[in-house]
Amino acid sequence: MDFSIPRHRPDFWTWITILILAVLCILLILPILRVLTLGFVDPDTGSLTLGNFIEVFTRNYYLNGLKNTLFVGVLGTLGACLIGIPLAFFTTRFLIRGKTLISTLAILVLVSPPFISAYAWIMMMGSNGVITNFFDGIGINIPTIYGAHGIILVFSLKFFPFIFLMTQTALNAVNKSFEDAAENLGCSPWQRFVKVTLPLVFPAVSTGAIICFVLSIADFGTPAILGRGFRTLSTIALSAYRSELGGPPTMAVTVSILMMAISMIALVAQRRILANRRYASSLTNLPVAVKLSGWKNAAVHFFSHGIVFLAMLPSAVVVYTSFLKTNGPVFVGGFGLESYDRIWRDAPDAIYNSFLFAIIAVTFITITSGLISYVIVRRDTKAAAAIDFLMMVPYLVPGVVMAIGFVTVFRNGMPNFFGSAVLLVMIYFIRRLPYGVRSTTSSLRQIKPSLEEAAVNLGATPLGAFVKITVPLIFPGIVVGALMSFITAINELSSTLILYDAGTITMPVKVYVAVLDGEFGLAAALSTILLLSTGACVYAVFRFAENRNSAFL
Amino acid sequence: MASVEISGLRKLYGDVVALSDINISVPSGTFFTLLGPSGCGKTTLLRTIAGFHQQSAGLITIDGSSIEHLPAHQRDVAMVFQDYAVFPHLSVRDNVAFGLKQRRIPAIEITRQVEEVLEVVELGKFVDRMPHELSGGQQQRVGLARAIVVRPKVLLMDEPLSNLDARLRVDLRAELRRIQRDLGITTIYVTHDQEEALAMSDVVCVMEGGIIQQAAAPIDVYLRPSNRFVASFVGANNFLKVENLKGESVLKCCGGSVSQHLPADPAGPVVCALRPEDISVKVDEDPSSFLNTKISIPVQIKEVSFVGREMEIFATTDNGEALKAVGRSDSNVIALPIDSRAWFCVERENLSFFKDNELGERV
Ligand SMILES: Nc1ncnc2c1ncn2[C@@H]1O[C@H](COP(=O)(O)OP(=O)(O)OP(=O)(O)O)[C@@H](O)[C@H]1O
Ligand SMILES: [Mg+2]
Repeated sequence: MDFSIPRHRPDFWTWITILILAVLCILLILPILRVLTLGFVDPDTGSLTLGNFIEVFTRNYYLNGLKNTLFVGVLGTLGACLIGIPLAFFTTRFLIRGKTLISTLAILVLVSPPFISAYAWIMMMGSNGVITNFFDGIGINIPTIYGAHGIILVFSLKFFPFIFLMTQTALNAVNKSFEDAAENLGCSPWQRFVKVTLPLVFPAVSTGAIICFVLSIADFGTPAILGRGFRTLSTIALSAYRSELGGPPTMAVTVSILMMAISMIALVAQRRILANRRYASSLTNLPVAVKLSGWKNAAVHFFSHGIVFLAMLPSAVVVYTSFLKTNGPVFVGGFGLESYDRIWRDAPDAIYNSFLFAIIAVTFITITSGLISYVIVRRDTKAAAAIDFLMMVPYLVPGVVMAIGFVTVFRNGMPNFFGSAVLLVMIYFIRRLPYGVRSTTSSLRQIKPSLEEAAVNLGATPLGAFVKITVPLIFPGIVVGALMSFITAINELSSTLILYDAGTITMPVKVYVAVLDGEFGLAAALSTILLLSTGACVYAVFRFAENRNSAFL
Repeated sequence: MASVEISGLRKLYGDVVALSDINISVPSGTFFTLLGPSGCGKTTLLRTIAGFHQQSAGLITIDGSSIEHLPAHQRDVAMVFQDYAVFPHLSVRDNVAFGLKQRRIPAIEITRQVEEVLEVVELGKFVDRMPHELSGGQQQRVGLARAIVVRPKVLLMDEPLSNLDARLRVDLRAELRRIQRDLGITTIYVTHDQEEALAMSDVVCVMEGGIIQQAAAPIDVYLRPSNRFVASFVGANNFLKVENLKGESVLKCCGGSVSQHLPADPAGPVVCALRPEDISVKVDEDPSSFLNTKISIPVQIKEVSFVGREMEIFATTDNGEALKAVGRSDSNVIALPIDSRAWFCVERENLSFFKDNELGERV
């Protein structure tokens, strides 16, 4: 029997682990806990109650919001699947010209902010949209984009790249022998696709679908811009928050809890379903792409390119609009740079703030994610496992919810202690940290631990070994992580809307406000700047990432 | 140059006992080899000395002072890794200079020492190469140069040759030993290759199940294995059941006719070990004439395989125990038909006896 207690001396990485946990507690757990507890407190008496939830589940206003959210969430996800799965199948099983272009455009769609495409659709199919007016002119009355169907359209075209890219990866890894065997057993190509191929890629499809669903539920910009009376939980949460300013944001918080619960349930359900569906596959027989001919070939090409064209259309329209000649909010025909001129007069601070906050947040994200990924990958402790788990949480908590949590923790009780600039940087940091961590973690997993041990063994301190050996070796992963978090930070709208004040407006907020004011030219010019910075980052990711597609998922 | 003493060392991974009660002493300048099958705890022991693992109990001292409180980077023991662990983003020069830079040695001195040590490991021409431009053997030399250039008190090597091909392994083995002798550096070497262990070491320490089985000079480990595990792990061995009659052991297979006086009277059952290479095969001679110094066991030949320099003969005794003999190829023996009778003869002094229990101590 061994009665001696294992002796442990805290080393450098133990302290780092503690520090990381402390930061995560303050910036992640605390706000979420505050949201959770406030929902169970009566705003007037301060006593514990279920009254807030009873109100949400009995009043039509909230119930409709819940129904609407689920409705556009489910149908948007379904739409994304209906687009993404065939596209993935076509591009992996058939020879398609411009396959790389399709993937590249899909990635651009994936990273560009949803509110921009929502508002581009207004310019095309809003009450005064180009397409609406065109059909009006020839006497046909087409429905406008406003309402549930518009939101579903935008979600489908916006989120399909997740399904597409994940399914594509999975399809590329399906052993062709399975499909051959099915064909050999007498399946028609369609039966084979439904009975063999689809079940094999189901894990990937469902993971993509869950991402779409969670993002649809959390999305604020699209329903806010296109909703027109069609309210979802995220818009309800924001207006509840605004109407409760001054008091505790009880109803905003209660709605927030509901949103988190939906995301959680969806995730848990997917994990459940996936649990009994793991297919090990040896890649002995790689799938091959066959060459189609005749009308089939034309149809497949038309669909594949048509889809990405349609998905890119909003961005193109935005860029095009930004160069239209304007006079104030009115387009006066012809081209001109007035919109950009107005940016310099009306919104230089938005550009400045956006870049400033994003860069500061990304700097912290980069440093922290390097340390976190080391702890996750190299340390076999419970704390490391906890951090790994916590890194999933920001994906699941909608921006509106996180921001309300921030307000309840950092504003109530300590007014003006944190300026809104600091709050914005902090919330970008915590919400986008997982992007950095994921990228650096996957890089670090490929580095043999013996390299760091060799450095320590030769006399380098743990920090020295990390800086001199680990960091240079995972540098590409760090850069990709920084770029991904930058893209997502600079395009952040929902939590910024809650936290910003006059001095800290950002580009997405300015776009949102401009769209609501009908200032489409100004919005277009700002959106173009956002799209350009995003595009530049995507290009840089392509340069640095080993696997282009997986860097974005 | 330093001596290493380890006493009462234990290491647990959760509930798994990886090392239990390790006591070893490595005199200054010794080439000390840890030999044992996979999973016996060799790496764990080495990494505990290096400071990558924290021991659960026990003491490690270098030159008489405990190193327990020292973190890995202050221990001044240098390690050569199985997977080379050459920094892929640094040139050969920077790899070798790494440890010297940590010790804040002046640049000129570093350049001199790096070039000197690269000559020693015969990599003088490769100073400015990147690791991916080197072969596996060359990378491992970089690993070695990088470790010895800092003049560590102790050099630790964890199966440094196991990723190399057979020829290179033998060449590098000799070179390692030469360098170690020239520098006189205390070395703890891990391998599961017994030939490597026997050829290189001053002391071979056989481990199994986290326990030291025997630590002795190679020849002693081979000739006088301290227990049944060592006897079977180092070199090959045949084990025969023995009927123990009050210290006078009788080899059962021979129906009591072959007897052997045991050096001491062990209580309980005993097994007899005879090495295949100590067996000579007699086909038609009557073995009874030299029974005083040898024993002869009547066997039935089951298979003779000719593997070039030598042949391997598999046979069974009259009560069905399998025996293997190895000897100089002999066409008379190779020609033997299956199931023909022969005698396996062994010098009595080459027989070893072990208790037939779990520990299997030598009698
Ligand atoms: N991190 C760990 N956690 C739990 N058990 C471990 C760990 N590392 C090693 N072990 C166990 O400790 C025992 C000793 O392992 P060790 O790596 O020291 O063996 P080894 O002698 O070096 O083997 P090999 O020749 O295969 O390298 C093994 O049973 C192994 O399963
Ligand atoms: Mg080992």
